[in-house]
Amino acid sequence: MTGVAKAFDPSTVLLAKHAQHVVLVHFPIALFITGVAFDWASQWTRRQALAEAAYYNLLIAAASTLPVVVTGVLAWQFQLEGERLKGILLLHLVMGWASTVLICAVWWLHFRARRRGLAVPGYLRMLEGVAVVAVGLTGHLGGFLSGVSGG
Amino acid sequence: MRRRVWILVLAAPVVAATLLLISGARGFTASAEQAQTSNVEVKIDNFSFGPATLTVAAGTTVTWTNRDDIPHTVVSEDKAFKSKVLDTDEKFSYTFTKPGTYGYFCSIHPKMTGKVVVQ
Repeated sequence: MTGVAKAFDPSTVLLAKHAQHVVLVHFPIALFITGVAFDWASQWTRRQALAEAAYYNLLIAAASTLPVVVTGVLAWQFQLEGERLKGILLLHLVMGWASTVLICAVWWLHFRARRRGLAVPGYLRMLEGVAVVAVGLTGHLGGFLSGVSGG
Repeated sequence: MRRRVWILVLAAPVVAATLLLISGARGFTASAEQAQTSNVEVKIDNFSFGPATLTVAAGTTVTWTNRDDIPHTVVSEDKAFKSKVLDTDEKFSYTFTKPGTYGYFCSIHPKMTGKVVVQ
C-alpha cells in the first residue's frame, strides 16, 4: 500500500493494514472523554439523565477499545512485522495498554455500582481524571506518529 | 630522408597529445563512474524522502538517514529491501546491483514514497 491510494476510496481504509487503527481509535477517545464529562456534570448537577448518558458513553467506549487494540497489534505485526518496538512507538504501545485498562476499569466500576444499586466509589472521579490524561497522552503520541500533531 | 624526419618530428607531438587526450578522457570517465557507484545518501525529513527520485549506477549503495523527529521505515514495493524502524539519525543502507526502478515507501506513513532508478 503506497501513496498512490485515493483518499476517499474505501479500499484505502480497508486494505491499508494500519489505517483501521488510526480510524477506530477516535471512538474510545471521544466516547470516554464525553462520558467522563457527563459523569462529572451529573455529579455537579445531580441529574440522573446525565449519569445515564455518562454510563452508556463509558460502556461503548470500553467496548470500542477491543477493535482498537486488535487493529493496533495487527498494524504492528503487518507494517513492522512484529519488530521489537522502541522510542515513541513503544511509549505509544505502553500508554495504549494503560489507557485501555483504565477505560475498562472506569466502566466496570460504574457497572458494578449500578448493579449493586450503590453510589460510585469516591476515588472513581480521580481515576477518571487519570484515565483522561492517559488517553490524551496516548492520542497525542499517536497523532505525533501519524504526523497529525506536530512533526 | 630529411622530409620523413620532419614528418616524424611534427607528428610525434600530435600523436602523443592525442594519446594523452584519450587516456585522460578515459580516466575522467572512470572516475565519474566511480563517483556514481559510491555511496549516495537520501535524507528522510518532514515526512518525505529527499531526493524523492534518485538515479544511480548499478553497484551503488544508497543510505537513508532519518533526520525527522518521527520514526520511519524504508520498504521497497517489490520486497527487495526493508529497513527496521529508523529513529532520529539512524541509517539504513542497501546496495543496488541490478538495473531497474525500485519504488519504496515508509510502512508507518505509506503516503511517503520514493524511487531509485538503477541504470
